[in-house]
Amino acid sequence: MIKIKDLEKYYRTEEVQTVALNKLSFEVKEGEFVAVMGPSGCGKSTLLNIIGLLDDPDGGSFEFNGIEVSGYKERQRANLRKHNIGFVFQSFNLIDELTVFENVELPLIYTGVKPAERKRRVEEVLEKMQIMHRRNHFPQQLSGGQQQRVAVARAVVNDPKLILADEPTGNLDSSNGNEVMQLLTELNEQGTTIVMVTHSEHDAKYSHRVIRMLDGHKVTESLLV
Amino acid sequence: MIRNYFKIAWRNLRKNKIYSFINIFGLAIGMAVTIIIGLWVHDELNYNHYFKNRDKIAQVFQTQTFNGNKGTGSAIPRPLEMAMREQHSDKFKHIVMSSWNQPSYLEYKDINISKNGNSMQEGAIDMLGLKILKGVKDGISDRYSIMLSASTAKALFGDEEPIGKIIKANSQYDLKVTAVYEDIPVNNSFSDLDFVKPWDLYANSMDWVKRSIDSWGNNSFQLFVQMNDDQTLDDLNKQIERIKLDAPGAEDTKQYNPVMFLHPMDDWHLRSEFKNGVKTGGRIEYVWLFGIIGLFVLLLACINFMNLSTARSEKRAKEVGIRKSVGSSREQLIRQFLGESLFVVVIAWVLAIIIVLASLDGFNKLASKAIEFPWTNPSFWLASIAFVIITAVLSGSYPALYLSSFNPVEVLKGTFKAGKLAHLPRKVLVVTQFTVSIALIIGTIIILKQIQHTKNRPIGYSKEGLIQIPVMSQDFLGKQDIMRNAFLSSGAAIAMSTSSSPTTNVWSNRSGFLWEGKPDGFQEDLAWVEVSPEYVSSLGLKVVEGRDFSREFPTDSNAVLLNKTAVKYMGLNDPVGKLIRSDDDGEDEPMKVIGVVEDVIMQSPYEPVKQTIFVFDRHGNASYYNLRLNPDRSVSQNLETIEQVFKEHFPNLPFSYQFVDEEYAQKFAAEERIASLASVFTVLAILISCLGLFGLASFVAEQRTKEIGVRKVLGADITNLWMLLSKDFLTLVAISLLIASPLAYFFMQNWITKFTYKTNISWWIFLMAGMGAILITMITVSFQSLKAATANPVKSLRTE
Repeated sequence: MIKIKDLEKYYRTEEVQTVALNKLSFEVKEGEFVAVMGPSGCGKSTLLNIIGLLDDPDGGSFEFNGIEVSGYKERQRANLRKHNIGFVFQSFNLIDELTVFENVELPLIYTGVKPAERKRRVEEVLEKMQIMHRRNHFPQQLSGGQQQRVAVARAVVNDPKLILADEPTGNLDSSNGNEVMQLLTELNEQGTTIVMVTHSEHDAKYSHRVIRMLDGHKVTESLLV
Repeated sequence: MIRNYFKIAWRNLRKNKIYSFINIFGLAIGMAVTIIIGLWVHDELNYNHYFKNRDKIAQVFQTQTFNGNKGTGSAIPRPLEMAMREQHSDKFKHIVMSSWNQPSYLEYKDINISKNGNSMQEGAIDMLGLKILKGVKDGISDRYSIMLSASTAKALFGDEEPIGKIIKANSQYDLKVTAVYEDIPVNNSFSDLDFVKPWDLYANSMDWVKRSIDSWGNNSFQLFVQMNDDQTLDDLNKQIERIKLDAPGAEDTKQYNPVMFLHPMDDWHLRSEFKNGVKTGGRIEYVWLFGIIGLFVLLLACINFMNLSTARSEKRAKEVGIRKSVGSSREQLIRQFLGESLFVVVIAWVLAIIIVLASLDGFNKLASKAIEFPWTNPSFWLASIAFVIITAVLSGSYPALYLSSFNPVEVLKGTFKAGKLAHLPRKVLVVTQFTVSIALIIGTIIILKQIQHTKNRPIGYSKEGLIQIPVMSQDFLGKQDIMRNAFLSSGAAIAMSTSSSPTTNVWSNRSGFLWEGKPDGFQEDLAWVEVSPEYVSSLGLKVVEGRDFSREFPTDSNAVLLNKTAVKYMGLNDPVGKLIRSDDDGEDEPMKVIGVVEDVIMQSPYEPVKQTIFVFDRHGNASYYNLRLNPDRSVSQNLETIEQVFKEHFPNLPFSYQFVDEEYAQKFAAEERIASLASVFTVLAILISCLGLFGLASFVAEQRTKEIGVRKVLGADITNLWMLLSKDFLTLVAISLLIASPLAYFFMQNWITKFTYKTNISWWIFLMAGMGAILITMITVSFQSLKAATANPVKSLRTE
C-alpha cells in the first residue's frame, strides 16, 4: 500500500538546514499495523505527515497504492487524502466550535455524502466508539479519553484504507490509552491499515512491526507477529 | 456543507463577542454611512428628473467682460427674445420669457397669502411638462389668468372647486384660475413655483418692464428654451453666441463683449459655477467629495474586518489544519471564509438598514433634503445585493487567502507562528485607516475655520434686533412715511428705513455713468441700492467721510453715498461733492456724492464687498422696510405691536417679516451643511478606526500574554509594559500623520482657493489633528495594554 524509497526532507531556517528524513525507505502492506518509534526529532512525525499527504518530500519517491504521489498538486492531495486516509493526533485536534456529531461528520461533508447518509454513518460510528450519548457536546466538555475516541471516530467515519496515528495516547492516562489502542487494534482487524508514531513501547506492542528511526533514517525493523 | 460553514461562523461570532461587535457594528456604521451618502448622491444626480424634457431644456446665459473680468449670469435683456424668435425659431420647440421667481399676494374672499411664482410665456407649461390636475393646459393664454400649484389651490380654496374662480393678485389684478398643476417635488428647479402668471400681464404692468422692451442694456429677465430633438447644444451655442453683439440697437453693450450661450437643465444644479466665462463645476465637487468619503468610510470598516480576521488567524489556524487533514481543499477553505465574511456582512447590512432608517430624518435636516428610503425601488435592492457581495469579497478575500494558505503540519504541530511579514499588511491597513481619519480631521478643521473666519469678518452694520418687511406689492406705494411714523410712534421700533434691496442682498447693478476723472474706456459695474434717508442710521452704517442723507436738505433728493470700495474702484481722491452723471441722456440731474460709508457685506461673505452706490430713493422704489426693534421691550412684544400697526393699515395683506441676522446666517448654510456632514463622517471614521484599533490591541495583548508575564517576573513595571504594548500603534499613527498631512494640505489648499476671503491653513491644524489622533490612539490602546500589564504574571505564564 505504501512504498517509500530514499525519502528526503529538510527544514531550512535562515542559517541552518536540518535533515528530517535522510534517504528513508520502507514499505507498508495493506492490512498491516506498523509502529514507528524513535527519539524526539528523529523525523517520525515528518514521515507521518508525508504519508498523510500533508507535507511534500524534498526527494525520493512515495507510492500510494502503486501510484507515485510525491509530485501531486494540493488539490490532488486533498482529494486522495479525504477518500483514503484518516488521522488521529496526540492533541485530538477537534474543532472547538463544532459538537461531537459535527466533528465526526466533517470528513463526510468534504467527500460529498448526502445528509441522511451522513447521519446514519456518524451515528453508527459514534455507537461503535461508545460516545453516542455525548453527540451534542462540545469538545471542551469531554474528557481526554472521550475526545480521542471522537477523533478516532472522525478518522474512521469515511472508511479510510489507512489510518495515521501520531502518538494517539500521548495525552491520555493509561486506562484511556489502552482503550484507544484497543480501538485501533479492532479497526486493524477489520482490515484498516494503520501507521502509528509512538514513544511508548507499550503501545508499540499492539502493532505487527516496529520501525525504529534515528536522525531521519531507519535503524532497525522488527517483526512482532 | 454551507450549513456547516454558517454554523461555525455563527458560533465563532457568539464566542468572540467583542470581536463580533467590533466587526459587525463597525461594518454596519460604515455601510450605513455609505448607504446614506449613496442616497444623497442619487438624490443630487437625480435633480430635475421630474422634467421629462430635461435633456432638451436650457436657459440662456450671457458672459460679459467688465474691465477685463468676465462675469457670467442668467439675467438677459428683453429684446433677446424677439431676436431668438426671428433668427432661430426653427431650432427650438419653445422659447419662453420669464420673470424671476417672486412673491405675490393672492387673495380670495378673506384669505390672503403670499406665494412665489413666475410670470412666463405660454410654452412654459408644455416645456416643463407640468402635470395638469384640473383645468386647461394652455392656462396662461389669457392675460388675466393664473395657474396654481395643487398646494396653493388648496390653501386658497380649501375643498372648493378652484377652476373659474377669480382671485386678486397683489391687490391689483383680478385673475381667473384656469388650471391646477401637481406640486413640483423638492429636488427640482421650479420647486417653489406656486403659481404661473401670464408673461403678457407682467410685461404690461410695470413701467420699467414696458420700457425694457427694446433695451439691450437692461439685463433683468430670464429666457428658457426647449431645443428641437435634432438640435445639439454645441451647434446652437455657436449660432447664438453673437446674437446680442450683432443685434442692431445693442451697440451700447458691445463694449462688454456679451457672449450668449445655453446652460442645459442637466447642469443647473450641479455645474453652475463659472469662472472667467468658463464653466468650472459647482456642487458636483461636493457630490464627488462625499462619494469618496462614503467609500473611504466603508473601506475603513472593511479594513477592521480584514485586520481582526487575520489577527485572530492563530486561533483559527488549528481549524484550518484539521479541515485540511480531513480532506478540505484550499478552495473549499477560501469559500468557507468568504462565506463567513458574507454572513457577517449580511448581518451588518441589516443593522445598517436599521441605522439608516433611524437616522434618515436627522440626516435630511442636516443636509436640508427630503430623501425617502427607497423601499420600492428595485435598483436600490439590486445595488444593495451587489454592495453586500462586493463588501464581503473586499473584506473577506484577504483573510480567506491568508488563512487558507496555512500549512496544516505546522498548525497542527503547534509550531505555527505568523511570520514577520504577516504583520506587515495589517500595519499597512492600520496606517491606511488612520491616514484617512487624520486627513478627514484636518479637512473638517479647515472647513470650520474657513466658516468661522468668514463669520468673524466685520459686516459693517448691526444686524441684531433688525427686521425687514417685504413691501413689493402696489398697496405699499407712497405709504412709507405714514408707516414710518406709525411704527415709530407705536414704540415697537426705534428706527425705520426703506431700501430697494434686502439688507442681505443687492438686486440691482448699474453701469453707464460719467464722473470727473473717470479713466478712458473704464467699464464700471456698480451695485445699486435705493434707500430712504434713514437707511444709514437705522442699520448702523458708519459714515467715514462727508455726511449722511438728511431730510433737512431738499437737495438730497439727488444725493448718493458711496461705500469705501466704490471710492477706490472709481478712483476718486476727494469723493465728497463729486458729481456722477448718467451717460445715456443728459436730462437727468447729476447725482452728488455727499458721503462715504464703511463697506457693508450685503452679498457673499466669502467675496470682497462690491462697489456700491446708495441712492436717495425719490420714486418710492422700496422693496423692504427695515425696522430696528426697540431694545427696551421684548422681541415678541415688539413684533406683536408691529403686526398690529401693519394690519391697521393693510388689513387684507398677510404680515411677513425676516430677522436680518437669520437671513445673514443663511449665507453660511451651504458651507455649514458641508461642515456638519464632514464632521459627522469624520467622527464616524474615527470611531470605526478606533474600534478596529481596540480589537487589534486586545489581540496583541492576548498574543503577548506570556511575554508580559516573563517581563513582569523579571521586574518590568506597568509603565514599561504599557509602553511596550502601545508604542507600535503610536508609531503607526505617527506614520499616518506624516502621510495624511501633505495629502490634506493639497486638497484643502485646492478647496479654499474658491473663496476670495479665505483663512490660512496654519501649522497648528496639523499639530492639533496629530495630537488628537495620538491621544485617541493612546486611550484606545491603553485600555487593553493596562489590562494586560496589570494581570497576574502567574496566570499569564500558566497559559503556556
